[in-house]
Amino acid sequence: MTNPILPLLLFDGACAVCDRIGHWVQKAAHPRSGMATLEARAIGNDPTELRTLNPNLDIWDAYAIIHLLMPDGSMKTGGEAVAEVFRRLPATRWFAWCFAISLFGFKPFQQLLNLGYVILDDVRPIFGCDSCGTQRAWVKPIIRVVAWTKSLFGKSTTKAATPHFSQAANITPRPTSASMNKVG
Amino acid sequence: MDTRMTHNAAGLLDRIQPLSGDTFNAMVLKGSGPIAVEFMSYGCGYCRAVEPFLQQAAEKLDGKEQIFRVNIDAEPEISASFEVEGTPTFIMFLGGREMGRVEGIQPTLANVMGVVTQPFDIQY
Repeated sequence: MTNPILPLLLFDGACAVCDRIGHWVQKAAHPRSGMATLEARAIGNDPTELRTLNPNLDIWDAYAIIHLLMPDGSMKTGGEAVAEVFRRLPATRWFAWCFAISLFGFKPFQQLLNLGYVILDDVRPIFGCDSCGTQRAWVKPIIRVVAWTKSLFGKSTTKAATPHFSQAANITPRPTSASMNKVG
Repeated sequence: MDTRMTHNAAGLLDRIQPLSGDTFNAMVLKGSGPIAVEFMSYGCGYCRAVEPFLQQAAEKLDGKEQIFRVNIDAEPEISASFEVEGTPTFIMFLGGREMGRVEGIQPTLANVMGVVTQPFDIQY
């Protein structure tokens, strides 16, 4: 059960990196003394349930980019969501003011944070993400090097996971002659 | 039995019915006519790329073939029983029997139509 008066951070629970960060945020937002400032939970698998949180929230979008659902019904995504999380957490709010600095309409620190989010999103597979969607071309060689290095020390790169097939199709038709029915 | 037609956040009709362990047998193994089942997960970028074309394919087929989806994260038993090794995997059924299987797919309408209709020779 989430608290409707607190922002809600949705993270990809199948991704090891996101899961760790999400749980850290949840813990940091609930200090032993004082009020909770934020809720964080995994996205889950129910599109209908997600839409009860916000009618404009699509589950595909939720998995594609981090979402912070605000109590007023608005949503922040990507670097904007991260900045808002930093503003809300007692441990990070001391530096989060910098993301609001604007020079002639340009927010340099926010732009840096946006870039950092994009890079982290790209490199998640290196850190053992199980659910990272399509891997960027520039990250693939790094993943191979990391996997090779870990194999030298007898370590598995990731926990067992269901892979996502690339766009190259592997077709395995299994028709039987008696079963070819014409329809339509 | 959960066979709801839902809408996505953009208000568009979701033409792909989700299946659970409770509904899979009745809708697929005991279902009638040609059936395609996409084994997917919402965190899979390739599944996301295929999704709009799958919706278009379902609209184009207009009931000549039923298309369902099984979320492997929510229904690991079903995907394990069909030895699904990754997402997206399409398995086509007729009369409860597996007629064909495609793992991975180029995200275009022509490819998706080809994959889901390939074992059945459906005219559309």
